[in-house]
Amino acid sequence: MQRRTFLKSLLLAGMPMRVLADTAAPAGEFFVFIHAAGGWDVTLWADPRNEKKGIIHPAATDNTDPSQVRHWVDAPMEDGARTFQLVKARSGAVFGPGIGGLLDVSDRITVVNGLAMNTVSHPDGSAFSATGRHLVGGRSPAPSIDTMVANELGREQMFPTVSVAFPSSYVGDGLDRRVVPLTVGQIGSVSRSLARTELYDADADRDEVTALLSQEANDLASRSAYPDVLRGVGLQMESLRRMLGSKLSDAFSADALRKAHPQFNYKGRFHGASSVNAAFAVDAMKRNVVRCVSFSLGGFDTHNTNYRTHAQLLQETMDLVAILLKSFDDTPHPTLVGKKLADHTHIVMVSDFCRTPQINQQGGRDHYPNNSALVVSPRFKGGLVFGKSDPEQLLPAKVKKFIDGERAIAPPDLLATFLSSFHVNPRKYMRDGEVVPELLKA
Amino acid sequence: MSPLRSAAIALGAAAIAGCGPKELVPPQVGPKLTVTSTSTQDSAPKEELRMVPAEAYMRTYLALFGGLAPLEVQKRARGGDGAQLFDTWDDYFSSLGFPDYRIDMPRSQQTNALMVATFERLGVALCDRAVEHDLKAKPPVSERVVFAFDEAAGPAPLDRAAFESRFDVLHRTFLAYPVKLAPTERAARFFKLYGDVHARHAKAGGKARFSPDEAAWASVCYGLVRHPEFHLY
Repeated sequence: MQRRTFLKSLLLAGMPMRVLADTAAPAGEFFVFIHAAGGWDVTLWADPRNEKKGIIHPAATDNTDPSQVRHWVDAPMEDGARTFQLVKARSGAVFGPGIGGLLDVSDRITVVNGLAMNTVSHPDGSAFSATGRHLVGGRSPAPSIDTMVANELGREQMFPTVSVAFPSSYVGDGLDRRVVPLTVGQIGSVSRSLARTELYDADADRDEVTALLSQEANDLASRSAYPDVLRGVGLQMESLRRMLGSKLSDAFSADALRKAHPQFNYKGRFHGASSVNAAFAVDAMKRNVVRCVSFSLGGFDTHNTNYRTHAQLLQETMDLVAILLKSFDDTPHPTLVGKKLADHTHIVMVSDFCRTPQINQQGGRDHYPNNSALVVSPRFKGGLVFGKSDPEQLLPAKVKKFIDGERAIAPPDLLATFLSSFHVNPRKYMRDGEVVPELLKA
Repeated sequence: MSPLRSAAIALGAAAIAGCGPKELVPPQVGPKLTVTSTSTQDSAPKEELRMVPAEAYMRTYLALFGGLAPLEVQKRARGGDGAQLFDTWDDYFSSLGFPDYRIDMPRSQQTNALMVATFERLGVALCDRAVEHDLKAKPPVSERVVFAFDEAAGPAPLDRAAFESRFDVLHRTFLAYPVKLAPTERAARFFKLYGDVHARHAKAGGKARFSPDEAAWASVCYGLVRHPEFHLY
């Protein structure tokens, strides 16, 4: 037996029984995956530092503009600049001022600190956070978390995954062609793709063409030695018929979404335009046409003086997630009577990596191989901060004994834990990662 | 000459004679090979079908619809008639599978339902404009870009034979081989599509901008420009 196979079998033996039990995958769950693109500064929110210690130079008034950061309260620092006071949440957790609107719902959020990234490359960090694997030859060798979840729980949904500039990947065996992420640069482009004019032809004409093409694809598949791709095209043609038959263009129109969901901050300095993606998530889940919505929020790559507004950027990010959560609270579940969307919607937010504990010569922070992640899920323990980084260098610190020894938690562990909470065996998709039961509700 | 010298010369001459041309082996007729078994040549593809790169099918669209530059095609597809057949290429960049380096979006490796929807949007725009150019404006057949055949003479739909000869022109244009080499049911399927659309538009009484025959040929064009064989290889 090879060493890896042996370790895997040990790992599986160590998984909680409920993970491996032959339990039916739950129905009616929805997912939002957010990528904070560029690498966020965890010392300003999840893993706060307000003391000069070791190589750590905290955010302070000489490098940060705190004027619009609501939870920034000045604290003295020895060289005359003022840093921030730690923000204590109801749950007992301690955050930095970038926590923004999530402070009010701190008992519902799970923060994972000290994630070992082993990379400071944007594409690699993004892929590692989303798939649990580093890039191989510049390509992702594994499916991303939205694809995995959609393959398990969203095959029958009209849109298993809509991915707006998220690092989604569709790689590996055993994936249904229907769950190929619908990857777009902006949500409005979906409505343009679905727009049709009736001046020349009728819906019935186009529908008949699509039905014919579905038949053609299936017939070619039946003659082919490699029928999967053709069968997949046939299924996608059928999905198109359902999409166009449901008159969904409003759900994807940026203007219509802004009108239908005015609670989001569309005029926000950093994420005003991206707030439409969050509105889309609420709208499409309310209509029960999507299973996963994944999107990116940009602007975190602050190597120079643009770091001065990093705390504001984080605040706006967390505000967006808080509004999203509130919207799910206020929206009834489309299929489960008496339930709210929030009862069955799961949000995971990751970033490429974090930023250096030192301030560089340009007044910004560079890339650093540590990270934090946020999970808001009814299946995860709320008000929990798990994992840690060392006090002087902000590097991931050992947090518990895993099957391969004592070490820091890493993205594959978080993703495996997330999958396992839906009774999905992570080994079906992931080479690495171990379930961390401490993160899950009993 | 000493006996020793004579012997050496004789030995050398014998060695040189040994390096001369070899005897030719005369050709012979071998025994006839006996057939022990027969099998057909395995010409099946040895890997899954793949998507044609987005740049390749985009170039093909441009070539098929008149060999125009992308911006010119965009201008023609949008038109000035308020038909809203098309917007700009930029709106469909990612959903057509192109990489978008402005937002670090990689190339799509697989089709998805949205891409299939975008192919339809684009195919409808291109085919409708081609019908306007070729069938409505009625230039000589040699100047037509897609529908390089004579249209039906009257309001009645074409019969099967007349349809198939014209369908073959389109089939060769879009899929690059004669329809008689395609699976046998294909021509019948497209003939049914042609007939159904023709009947639907005839019944609607000319509400659309296309005549029944034009609408029927437009639908056939939609089917070929979005055919799995067009996008996969």
